Amino acid sequence: MLKSMSVVREAIAGDEADDAMAERVAAGQARKQVKAGRKVLPIVEGVVLVAALLAPLVLQDYLTVFATRVIILALFALSFDLVWGYAGIMSFGQALFFGSAGYGVALLARDLDITNIFLVLPAGTIIGLTFALLLGGFLLLGRHPSSVIFVSLGTLTGSYAADRLARGWYYLGGQNGIPSIAPMTLGGYEFSEGPAFYYLVLGILVVVYLLCRFLVRSQFGLALAGLRENEQRIAFFGYKAQHLKAIIFAIGGAIAGLAGSLYAFHEGFVWPNMVGVVVSTQVVLYVLFGGSGTLIGAVIGTVIVEGVSFWLSDNYRDVWPIILGVLLLLVILFRPLGLISFVLGERERVGSFGAKAKEKRNAAP
Amino acid sequence: MANAFVAAFEILSFGAIIVLIVLGLGIIASMMGIFNFAQGEFVLLGAYITWLAYAKGLPIWAGMAAAPVLVGALGFVLEALIIRRFYAAPIVAMLGTYALGLIIRESVRGLIGGFYLTVPEPIGGSIDIGAMHISAWRFTIIVITLLVMAGCYLLLSRTSFGLRMRATLENPSLARASGISTPLMYGATFAFGSALAGLAGALIVPVFSLYADLGLRFLIQGFVAVMVGGVGSFIGPVAGAGVIGTLSAALPWVMAPVVADVLVFVLAIVFIKFRPQGLIAGKGV
Repeated sequence: MLKSMSVVREAIAGDEADDAMAERVAAGQARKQVKAGRKVLPIVEGVVLVAALLAPLVLQDYLTVFATRVIILALFALSFDLVWGYAGIMSFGQALFFGSAGYGVALLARDLDITNIFLVLPAGTIIGLTFALLLGGFLLLGRHPSSVIFVSLGTLTGSYAADRLARGWYYLGGQNGIPSIAPMTLGGYEFSEGPAFYYLVLGILVVVYLLCRFLVRSQFGLALAGLRENEQRIAFFGYKAQHLKAIIFAIGGAIAGLAGSLYAFHEGFVWPNMVGVVVSTQVVLYVLFGGSGTLIGAVIGTVIVEGVSFWLSDNYRDVWPIILGVLLLLVILFRPLGLISFVLGERERVGSFGAKAKEKRNAAP
Repeated sequence: MANAFVAAFEILSFGAIIVLIVLGLGIIASMMGIFNFAQGEFVLLGAYITWLAYAKGLPIWAGMAAAPVLVGALGFVLEALIIRRFYAAPIVAMLGTYALGLIIRESVRGLIGGFYLTVPEPIGGSIDIGAMHISAWRFTIIVITLLVMAGCYLLLSRTSFGLRMRATLENPSLARASGISTPLMYGATFAFGSALAGLAGALIVPVFSLYADLGLRFLIQGFVAVMVGGVGSFIGPVAGAGVIGTLSAALPWVMAPVVADVLVFVLAIVFIKFRPQGLIAGKGV
């Protein structure tokens, strides 16, 4: 059995080599296009940003609250996209970091009365980072590289176990979670639901997005993309593949933690589902829909899935999850790169690393 | 003494249920290399069919007999239409089967609503041994599990069908060269695994009652059991299921249930980390 699997794998690797060749040829052609100044990605990003900036002006109040939630979930989706879309680590337990940070800041607010934004958001980020370092370090590092199956099932199990723990632990509120968390504060100002909170999370999303963009366009990002496409080759180049994976997993955990702490304060309560399998798989849906491997794809996917489900929830509450499942299946079968791939070419998705640097060098003297 | 006996019976019967559920999962994972996220929903479908038969006034036994056949047939169709495209990529297979599971689960939720529906035990009452009473139905489940296990083992190791199945899975090109229709064998294997899940669902519905998230509850336990036992053989996942089922039923007797619940998963993951090949390494039956 294992032998047959490895044969299949070799066959895939062969295909990938062919693909890579084809890609290089295509890349040469695409580079000419890029030089001609036709880039879709910045346009898409710009449109999304403008739409997000204008949204509270046209939306009714209760929709602004909903939009705030979507932006926070988009931040969460970004963390999963970094881990799966860029490094190829299937994390079925991303909610573990999201939810544990949410629980962490809820406890800070409940037991220690700490709600200052400059304390709780870093605290949430650090909680996410710590849990991700522990779990990622355990699952990814070690003498033998772990199989993808083990990592994905390990993260899934971690998230499920955390859910069970939260449900059964009285200190964490059991089934009901922790209700009525005090609002986040900045000096004397209290962040309650509404435009102010919206622009706060939008600002955070933009900053994190730009940081992620810088990260994936850097040499580190190039190594990550290599890891996703062909891990063995990256290892042969002398990269410590497992360390790279653990680092990006921890960064993803930190972003998820940041999103989780924002979510806890925005909703005003945390409950066991937040660390569990339901939310973990939800974020997978967002990213697969939008398009993994592009940062904006994660954001767009979140907006579309949440938006449509909000829109349909009045009349078609029962049918919507079924439609979602069917759509997901169709995307996986026919559009593995997500909806973004309708407008975005493969070359631009992977990104150009060498060309720009060379241009700069040529321009310098 | 009586308490210890009742505890032992409880542990044994829960272990049997987990083994029953993991059998199908293990066969698909070991033989095809696919971790089928829809397996929990096949269990759910089996339970649903049994409940439907009962609600329509048919004998429960009829529902229980129909469940594996219908779920197996569905598995065969799904394999031919969808699963077949996923063999080369294990992660994509997980996501695809997850989507399938989502569709099935939400459809069933739409059909039954958010209720817990009970189905009476076809064999009610209890078996009395001296002063001790054990549930007759749970005892029946243990017996059926043992029979199904033995049946699967014999099917895979002693029949020509089993031989062809193993040949296909171990070396597809050689099997094709020997005149075995490999697509048909893949379809049959997947259908067989699905049918076992359907049977499991039919048998456990009187114990756990029917609700939409019934399958999800066992899915992760099943995965962990398969990994602990070792992917690649028939006997590995069964052994893993025995260990995981026994531990999850036994630990709550000696410590707080919450801690026990989490501890089983932590122990299992740590075990797999340091012994990736599982309890029983190797392939074949």
